[in-house]
Amino acid sequence: MLQSAIAESVLAAARRGGADFAELYVERWRRRSLRTIDGDVEEAVSAIEQGVGLRLFFGTDVVYAYTNDLGDAALGELTETLVRLRGAKGAVDAGGGGGLDLRKRAAEGLHAPSVAFEALPKAWRLDRLRELDAGARVDASVRQVEGRLLEWEQDVTVVNSEGAWVDDRRVRTRCAAVVIASDGDQTQTGHFGPGLSVGLELFDRFAPATIGERAARQALVNLRARPAPAGTMPVVLGNGFGGVIFHEALGHLVETTSVARRASVLTDKLGEQIASVHVTYVDDGTTPHGWGSSEFDDEGMATERTVLIDRGVLTSYMVDRWGSLKTGYARTGSGRRENYTFAPTSRMRNTFILPGDIEDPAGLFAGIELGLYAKALGGGQVMPGSGEYNFAVNEGYLIRDGEVAEPVRGAMLVGKGPDTIKLVDAVARDLRTEPGMCGSMSGSIPTEVGQPHVRVSQIVVGGEA
Amino acid sequence: MNYERAKDHVLRRARALGVDAEVLATSTRELTLAASGGRVDEISHADQGGVGVRVVDDGRVGYASSEALDDASLDWMLDEAISNARLQPARGAELPAGGALGRSDLIGEGLSATVEAKGAAVVALAGAVVADARVDALFMARYAETETEAVLGSTRGVDGGYRNGYAMLMASPVMKRGDSVKQGWDVDVEKEFHQLDPTRTSQRVLERVGRHLGATPLRTGRYDAMLEPDVTATLLRLLLFSLSGKSVAEGKSRLAARIGERIVSELITLVDDPTLLGGLASRPFDAEGTPARRTPLIEGGVLQSFLHNSDTARRTGQANTGHAQRSYASTLGVGPSNLILEVGDGASLDDGVVVTDLMGVHAGANPITGDVSLQGLGLRVEGEAARPVENFALSFNLFELLERVSAVGDALEWRPGGGGGMVAAPMLRVDALSFAGA
Repeated sequence: MLQSAIAESVLAAARRGGADFAELYVERWRRRSLRTIDGDVEEAVSAIEQGVGLRLFFGTDVVYAYTNDLGDAALGELTETLVRLRGAKGAVDAGGGGGLDLRKRAAEGLHAPSVAFEALPKAWRLDRLRELDAGARVDASVRQVEGRLLEWEQDVTVVNSEGAWVDDRRVRTRCAAVVIASDGDQTQTGHFGPGLSVGLELFDRFAPATIGERAARQALVNLRARPAPAGTMPVVLGNGFGGVIFHEALGHLVETTSVARRASVLTDKLGEQIASVHVTYVDDGTTPHGWGSSEFDDEGMATERTVLIDRGVLTSYMVDRWGSLKTGYARTGSGRRENYTFAPTSRMRNTFILPGDIEDPAGLFAGIELGLYAKALGGGQVMPGSGEYNFAVNEGYLIRDGEVAEPVRGAMLVGKGPDTIKLVDAVARDLRTEPGMCGSMSGSIPTEVGQPHVRVSQIVVGGEA
Repeated sequence: MNYERAKDHVLRRARALGVDAEVLATSTRELTLAASGGRVDEISHADQGGVGVRVVDDGRVGYASSEALDDASLDWMLDEAISNARLQPARGAELPAGGALGRSDLIGEGLSATVEAKGAAVVALAGAVVADARVDALFMARYAETETEAVLGSTRGVDGGYRNGYAMLMASPVMKRGDSVKQGWDVDVEKEFHQLDPTRTSQRVLERVGRHLGATPLRTGRYDAMLEPDVTATLLRLLLFSLSGKSVAEGKSRLAARIGERIVSELITLVDDPTLLGGLASRPFDAEGTPARRTPLIEGGVLQSFLHNSDTARRTGQANTGHAQRSYASTLGVGPSNLILEVGDGASLDDGVVVTDLMGVHAGANPITGDVSLQGLGLRVEGEAARPVENFALSFNLFELLERVSAVGDALEWRPGGGGGMVAAPMLRVDALSFAGA
């Protein structure tokens, strides 16, 4: 995509303009998405995205520019524009401005797909979504089945004025079912959407029919669910996507994007007991074929496994280049961005709570007189400054006298992250991870969330008063 | 211009291949300046664009887009769009015929101030925010401007283009008093740079966030509620799902069969007006080249119309209202321009809760059923006294709530409406709403 000579001349011009550090990010995507309703194609879309982003550091000040035009002239103009906007006067002698000794590194293919983007006809893809549709027809109350298939192939090159040159390819595939069920009185929905850093072999791990069936079962549960009661109560969070609560209420608070601005309540807390001793929290960019995995981050650093919290003690933040400059903490391979239109910031990759010591998840329910089992959570959001969060419960049940009882719908979990993580009082061993899209300052990126079954001694549950 | 050339290349090839095609190409220039510590410390500049094609072949539709303008990429794009179309069952789709729409300029020199002047504005905003002793940290203070040029052409005669833009100032402080920490944000959007006022934006955001300091949990129960314009705008964005002709055509709108019926309180009148003079979301024509016109949606509580593009209009047998919306990379949708909930006689509250913020809309609201369960911040009003309350959840059904609106405020506030649209909303009073708190 990029020639060495052009990259060198752009980076050198940036250094001559007074920048302490310059980085070129070049990418080209091919994407396909296929959406069916009741087995017929509703939308089929294909796209090429390509562009280049140039980021310059003047101390810890950052300037960023991007364009779709990968021509030599446009790249040269990008540098000029940035230096002009910055208002840098005259040439600054920047040692190393020219003659970069670029050290090229290519991805080893740790997450490479076995089915290539070009393989298999489109009709094959449609057949899989029709299997999904058929799998969802488990009950007469199923009214509508939506199937979605996303395929991404992203080629990335990162080159910087320290001489690093990294080529990475990320291939991701996700299939989702959204099922609407109605009994004539109520209408409810169910959702299931597995995704991994793989090609169409995703369907070897998740048979299309079972994807449809899982979504349908959730819709049927919600159909017979009663409105959730409101109040403060013990909550057992389901494994897998239940982990989104800690993604929002804990993960975002330990990104240097917030911490370096002192805009997180967990600023300056390294070494402190910030969570219950049952919580060990890991952000891992290396999980083979993980939805949020890549061999390099979007700043060209090899990804790694970062232990954020060890038995309740904060051991690391997630640190990108800017965050490292501001705070002095070492980078953790956490610089990520949606695409070339965003400068990278510190972000999560695959983030999960490690298994605890409760062998049988049923043990988490014992002793709860009245509580909520939040088996599946929807999305949520958090204010990193205060840690306030909220989550929708997509599939929930009451816990009565230590047993999972009737399903409830419309429940919402509300609280402050730093309080909630101290109230985790038991963790099971059944760790599972699931894919999600995480939105923040550098755009929407694929991340995995996960955990075993986790019990929190009390959370405010919103429902019917 | 490259995009004109790309459009012409794709249309020429589509004609040769015997398929109907519509090409939308947009180019956008963006400038963002962030400030802290008395200076601009983050600058970003963008020059971005792409070409999107919608192909209609034998009543079937396919899409593709490309940000690369070389012939090989454009040809891949058109071939993909055609093979995407051929996956669909025939469903009678057609490209609307159209004509010459000319080229309009809706922004002129509105963003032509120097980058120094824009930098000074955001530095002034950041300075005014941190000058408040209650501000513990400034998460973000930002100036952003966007200028877009769109060209639209089709094998069925549509040919037009326009240039538009806007500028905005936004800030997000973290404020603190004792143990109470609150973060919030506010944004001012204007058509021209000189209409922005850093002092006004800073005062608003400090007021909006600062009034929540010292908040205590709200006791669970039913209260009479006053919804601030921001909250009203959130509800309108949610209601738009059911007012969308696309939802109607896909069988997802609860309002589908109710044109001519009273669906909400008779105090509510809602119109969409893309012709509004100086409106932030005004446009000469929609994404299919249908000329813009004012559309009443709800009058005196009675449903008048949905928002339609040519496709949803054809599928539902209703009139096209010219609300096609799409970017080069997206598929045809419908969307509002300037959506206005008309003012009423005013609203007041003696004993109840003023709801100032709702959070978690993307997760806690089901647009199909209208079931909503959201986290809120507010003010507990008892006579003259008002104290901040937090950590409560508000649960209601959108349609039932709008049915129960008992008063509408007499002033409008403009808020971003999602999908490029803007929403003008007043205060709404709703009696006996269910609040879940401590």
